[in-house]
Amino acid sequence: MAGSINRRAVRWLRGQLPELVAAGAISSENAAKIEHHYASVETRSNFGFVILATVGAAFLGAGIILLIAHNWDDLSRTTRTIIAFIPLVIALALVAFVLLQRNESRPWREAVAIFDFAAVATAISLISQTYQISGSFADFMKVWLLLCIPMVYLLRSAFGAVVYAIGLIVWLFAREMAFFVRSPNPMFFWIAFLLVVPYFLLRYWKDRESRECTALSIALVIALTFGMGFTADFAKSDLGSVAFAGLFTAIYLAGIRFFPRNDDRLHIVALLGGIGIGVTAICLSFESSWHMTREFFWGERTFQANIAFALEFLFPLAAIAMAAIGFSRGRSQFSWPAAVFPIVTAIGWGLANLCDKPAERWLGTRCSFTAAALMNCYALWLGIDILVRGIRANSVARANFGLLLIAALAISRFFDSELSFVTRGLGFIVVGAGFLVANVLMFKKRSAAPV
Amino acid sequence: MKKLFILVFVLVALAQLSVPAWMAWARVQTLAHGRVWKFKTAPVDPEDAVRGRYVRLSYDVDRYTANQKFRSGDSVYAVLKENAEGFAEVDRLTTEKGDGDNFVKVEAWWSNDRENIAFPLNQYWVTERDAPAAEKAYVENSRRGQQNAFVTVRVRNGDAALEQLYINNQPLRDYLRAEAQKAQSEKK
Repeated sequence: MAGSINRRAVRWLRGQLPELVAAGAISSENAAKIEHHYASVETRSNFGFVILATVGAAFLGAGIILLIAHNWDDLSRTTRTIIAFIPLVIALALVAFVLLQRNESRPWREAVAIFDFAAVATAISLISQTYQISGSFADFMKVWLLLCIPMVYLLRSAFGAVVYAIGLIVWLFAREMAFFVRSPNPMFFWIAFLLVVPYFLLRYWKDRESRECTALSIALVIALTFGMGFTADFAKSDLGSVAFAGLFTAIYLAGIRFFPRNDDRLHIVALLGGIGIGVTAICLSFESSWHMTREFFWGERTFQANIAFALEFLFPLAAIAMAAIGFSRGRSQFSWPAAVFPIVTAIGWGLANLCDKPAERWLGTRCSFTAAALMNCYALWLGIDILVRGIRANSVARANFGLLLIAALAISRFFDSELSFVTRGLGFIVVGAGFLVANVLMFKKRSAAPV
Repeated sequence: MKKLFILVFVLVALAQLSVPAWMAWARVQTLAHGRVWKFKTAPVDPEDAVRGRYVRLSYDVDRYTANQKFRSGDSVYAVLKENAEGFAEVDRLTTEKGDGDNFVKVEAWWSNDRENIAFPLNQYWVTERDAPAAEKAYVENSRRGQQNAFVTVRVRNGDAALEQLYINNQPLRDYLRAEAQKAQSEKK
């Protein structure tokens, strides 16, 4: 149906509605219903068209880039320079056209934004080839990202913003691959990330349930995860565990707080945060995760490294603040074990650093063992909590995730060769017992609950 | 509101156009008015010679090290001098950008108790068609004991523009053409 709608006719009909109501031909209620019907049909048909138009523009852009990468040697430098600018000039003309004539058409705006992104990349690449300009791929990405971000705002392009977020991740990796790296400073990531945040907020305030807002939030969460990883590496302060615990908890709490849902299901942002918490908890349950340098800082201290160090505290503090607000308001919908993850990790970190520095960095100590034991108990608690909440909400997916977490914990301990057989056995018994109790509870509840 | 949008658009359009335009303009200026220096290329690892469609260049001058340590974030320039054979050599390193046509901005990093440098011009773009032959030619002429490759670079006010890659004293394209003709006449 949606495909066969004549949009011009729909526009005409919608224009006629006030007259029809005035003439008494239909009631205003009917008019509102007709309006609502066509509004929903139009957005549905629009979304498919937006994707098609954007993919089309991306292919067109990629095709132009490939043609140009062919590097026509027979053309003079001047000719090649002119050719380099042709796609960009066309793209900018299209942007002007869309802003003046098709400002309300999402497919136009999204497609032209992507085409412009490709045209900028093409122009820079061809000029670099023509004039034998050497430069790292990371520098190229940097310039490209900065030139493209204003178009996201001008054309209100959610796909453009998603491409930008992916570009940020590409930049993080491109920078690491430089043939020699003195200081892989990731600060540009945070600045560039801040540039796209206002756009996300605009979309969020307009319609947080829209698919574009969801897609953009997923892209931003993934970008943040990579950004935090490289920042923790750059900070050289052994605080990565706390930083990641804080990041995922903040994402989880923000997902629940800012994307509330009427049903018991989790929003994708909260879900991603939850998965992050689970995976990080399992990683930290390995004793080797806690072999610390016993130094707050190591390596050369620079101003940027200190900023990276401060950034590591940003998300844990944000997570604690959000949990505290939720607690003070007395209507916390989130899982408490998940919310206290940064605090538990910080305690683990403190415990691991209590002992004296071992003779060799990679040797375990009683303290690293204690920290790992704490994280094992925590992961088990978290798994059981998710399981129980899953059962309560009658959500099979969440109950399964809880079980998966517990199973992952059990399997990790089985393969963790650094623990003695006795400890491994004891751990196994505890995990197995927890698993059984949880199962029994789940089936009791399930059989008692009305189907 | 619409006027504001148009104004922002004009600014963004100018920015998007001016970055590639400025990149081209800077090189056009350097190529037109810069002093020509010949840089001997260093032996290469054959695996690493061609990436995609460019020849990966490394230079004899990259082996220069100094015992002065620069702070990270400093712009480091190499001051050039010509040796007896007419090739460029590094005289010294400095952080001061003077004006003239004998210094190039280089990447510098501290390692093994010495300041190491790398010249920024390490990619020579070639056509898709020429890439395999260019790789072969560059590798064969950049072996230890048989270094017949050099590049000409135009230098002006700290900016360096790669002009031409020479193999056996011929520009790369001429060399490749001559080699192809030689191979054809041998077949006959």
